[in-house]
Amino acid sequence: MAKKKVDIKKLARDFWLGKPHGERRLGELYEDKTGLYKHREWRGVKDTMYYFYMIWLYNYIFMVRDIMKMGGPINFAKGVWRYRWVGQTYLPVLHWFDRGMEGMRGEALRASSWHYRGMVNETIRQFQRMFAADTKLHGGKKNDLWYHTMAHNETVWGGIFYPWSDHFDNVAMEMIPYFVTCHVNSHTVHNYIDAIQSIGLPGDPCPMCQAESGLFVQDDMPDYAPFMITSNEACDASVATSILQDWFYDKPLFAMPQPMQFDDPLVHKHCRREIEECWKFIEEQTGVPFNWDQLVKKLRQQNELQEFEREKWEVAAKTPYYPINGVAQALYRIYYSQDGDRDIWHFCDKKVRKILEKCVSKKINTFPKTRHRVIAWSCAPLYYSHWCTWAYNCWGLNVIINMDSLMFDMSIRTDTYDHCLDDMATYHMWAPMRRMAVGGMHHIFELWEYMEKFNCDFVMMYDQLQCKGMQGVHGLFEDEFRSRNIPAIWMPHALPDSRTVSRAEIRRIVNDYMTTVMHEEPLDPSLLDFDDSMGW
Amino acid sequence: MKKRKSCKCTLGHKLGRLALKLLGLVLLANAALFAVFFFDLDGKLLFNVVEPLLKKHYDNMDRKDTLKAPYDMDKYPSYEYEV
Amino acid sequence: MKDLKHLIYFENLLQEANNELVQKARADGKYALGYTCYFMPEVLLDLPGCFSVRLRAPRCTSPDIATYYMSARVCHYGRSLFERALEGGYNFMDAQMATETCTVTCRFQEHLQQKKLDSVADMKVIQNDNFFCEFIDVPFKKTENSYLHYKEQLKYHVLDKLHEHFGIDVSDEAVMKAIEQHNEVCRLINEIGDYRKLDNPTITGYEFHVIQLVSEVCPKELILPYLRETAEEMKTREPDDRWPFRCKVVLAGSENDDPDFTKLIESCGAEVVADRYCYGAVESRIPITVKEGQEPLDAIARHYLDTSNCPRFMPQDVMRERKQRLAKLVKDYKADGLIVASNKFCEYWSYERVIDTVVMKRDFGIPVCSIEKEYINSASGQLRTRFQAFVESVEIKKIQEGK
Repeated sequence: MAKKKVDIKKLARDFWLGKPHGERRLGELYEDKTGLYKHREWRGVKDTMYYFYMIWLYNYIFMVRDIMKMGGPINFAKGVWRYRWVGQTYLPVLHWFDRGMEGMRGEALRASSWHYRGMVNETIRQFQRMFAADTKLHGGKKNDLWYHTMAHNETVWGGIFYPWSDHFDNVAMEMIPYFVTCHVNSHTVHNYIDAIQSIGLPGDPCPMCQAESGLFVQDDMPDYAPFMITSNEACDASVATSILQDWFYDKPLFAMPQPMQFDDPLVHKHCRREIEECWKFIEEQTGVPFNWDQLVKKLRQQNELQEFEREKWEVAAKTPYYPINGVAQALYRIYYSQDGDRDIWHFCDKKVRKILEKCVSKKINTFPKTRHRVIAWSCAPLYYSHWCTWAYNCWGLNVIINMDSLMFDMSIRTDTYDHCLDDMATYHMWAPMRRMAVGGMHHIFELWEYMEKFNCDFVMMYDQLQCKGMQGVHGLFEDEFRSRNIPAIWMPHALPDSRTVSRAEIRRIVNDYMTTVMHEEPLDPSLLDFDDSMGW
Repeated sequence: MKKRKSCKCTLGHKLGRLALKLLGLVLLANAALFAVFFFDLDGKLLFNVVEPLLKKHYDNMDRKDTLKAPYDMDKYPSYEYEV
Repeated sequence: MKDLKHLIYFENLLQEANNELVQKARADGKYALGYTCYFMPEVLLDLPGCFSVRLRAPRCTSPDIATYYMSARVCHYGRSLFERALEGGYNFMDAQMATETCTVTCRFQEHLQQKKLDSVADMKVIQNDNFFCEFIDVPFKKTENSYLHYKEQLKYHVLDKLHEHFGIDVSDEAVMKAIEQHNEVCRLINEIGDYRKLDNPTITGYEFHVIQLVSEVCPKELILPYLRETAEEMKTREPDDRWPFRCKVVLAGSENDDPDFTKLIESCGAEVVADRYCYGAVESRIPITVKEGQEPLDAIARHYLDTSNCPRFMPQDVMRERKQRLAKLVKDYKADGLIVASNKFCEYWSYERVIDTVVMKRDFGIPVCSIEKEYINSASGQLRTRFQAFVESVEIKKIQEGK
């Protein structure tokens, strides 16, 4: 038998720089079923060390530091012991980083991970605030923080609470217990979906709303605020969710529904008044008057975030130097746009700006194996938001932009109260999934416009099986894809529920399309088929 | 009784050795942490030990029967305001 | 009981949206205006010169093309309407007065609309060159802000558009005339429906369902003589010697325009004495009161928001109050139980049904049968079993209570 020749030079090069894309065989790193790694990826000395020190170690250390700074370890320990959604989810956070950053190198690795860091910090702030104020963790006692926290639906934009942000804090009820958990540990949410179905809810309403209600059925919602504000966004099921939330939470509830026909100029007056009434409600409940200066200050800061977002989009649209991968872009954007202005977003943006400027000035092609520039449209699978990373590694499908990111594209004027309120109303009406997914036809089909703007040649069409709004336009999209001759993959999923369409099934659908329709070969064949059915 | 030999090390030597020891410790800790990182030992521990224990705990927790939650018809007013 | 004189005629009117009376009204030069939801005030579509048709898709069991466009994962009602539209069943319509009050009917109506966008090709579903589809935005609350908004929407998107497109007189006088006609329909329907409150009702739930539906899908002017005659007939209608049912129930829930569903419940021994669902009479046949000096449109806007029990309303006090309203209905109609039925994929009613099932029984002592159904009920065997079991449980409860 001929002895296999060892190429020392190549080994040394692979050690120093990491294997080139195409030779990595990332799929072989997984342990069967669990999604755990036999070992984490060797990305070359520089990037592995960056990942080890500046991502893995840095984030573990800062997770501990954040806990100590915000609410303390005792509240954290009590919360972990009491609430499944934090206990099961907080610990595998670094695996969430791993999944999102697989195969990333250089500036793309750095910029994307700063986005993740921002989200982790803000998540800790929110759950620690919940725990510190929670009567369930403090023997039923309502402490000062309880009186100074405002609870609201995750679809109520954090900006509504800016006028009180110098004295109060607001925490969305479902953002962490439901939304974030699905991304980090997809197992957790199943308990809540099962819980709501166990009391008679059928399985067909939007599973996001099911999970949000299930949290209350399982008594897994901290009691951290004296009142709550709800919204009709984004859909019928969100409206209906508040029926159960009101019952189980049993607190003063202000409903702040937004007009559905947001293109109609007549609805603005109504929407503005709803917001103003909400502010009156907060004044009444807190005894603290509305603070215009504070509102303006925070809105201006939020506008800065938006301005930088546009700069990022400009680079993403016109160059190959954009250093943020599809999943980091999507999650970070929707997180801060909905959550509102926080210091951590500015901190991370500063870091990312430096990287972005470097990429542009040095013309660094951040995703060099891009075969297709992809726009992802409609609502994404929360349990597989990192599909973008897989798709780039396996097929060279580089997700440049997505629908969720584009919904909030506006700055809010602060020159007069009138302008400000008008823009806030628009922002709120456009909020998550209303403008394009569950909203009117005029905006859903802006897809083509954005495809052109972002120079994309491929569509990943999310097919949320239980989203009535998007299911209701399924055929029109089919017709348009055909008549415009646009390659598009329908990606079926059930938002948080990984049991309906598994990650493996999603990969199979993409693989099939890429081989049978696009006639392309995978960049990394080891990623075509692997079993991560039990993975986080 | 024999007289104990007095150490002739200077303070500089002592500090140097301490620094070397510290450096050794730091390197050792680094290597250990790197091993944890590289072989995904954190993930394996969490997946195989911590999560199953926590799951068991959450599954066996006493939970309030939320269906017994009161639903008072007249408890809350209509929140409507002049603006 | 003796058969109602016009029952078969009424049943025939329900076989097609473009029924005999609709055709007659159109031949008389009136404009046919389709709508789906209670929040599009029927009364405004019945202004002189036009008439309302609440859309139904009877006997639509296989909405294949609509399923291509809307997938199989949305409510069968919305898909059936779209299928019927694609088949040409609504080509008689001159306009669709639309609401975005539930997602799927909204999407159905958006398919009818000529959007004239570059981004998506319009489907010419309704083969009528003058056809248009106009949406209103409906508030989720019953506050002053909501009334004003709703009224403005009705003015701009309904009255002004009807005047603009068809030259309809939308003056206060014309609106008052429409209210008068509407109130007469309400009075007659209520008069007929009140016989369900008798110990031995002289009208069945099925018969009433048919009568209520014809009042919604036919031009008011043309159906009124039949309603008047039926109301007269009811005055002398004798009940059977022995009440043929085993208990009385209120039927609450989502969209239901299928009298056969009511017939199915009654065939299991439960007489349906009140119909608190979309297309039912409980809300839609409450007469509109216009106070002295009040603008008729203002009265209409307030009326439709105030009377609705739709689970779409979000304020806490309203959510809770509607349970009380439902309990009162059970009491007023001397019902023994409540059937809460939601259409599969109806998100509002899926949730409302959960809470009704627990709270109505626990806090009001009302036996509840909670079911999920399709628009056209092909699975009647399963439903029959459920209803029979419910009737038995209600009977046992009555025996235990010594009734």
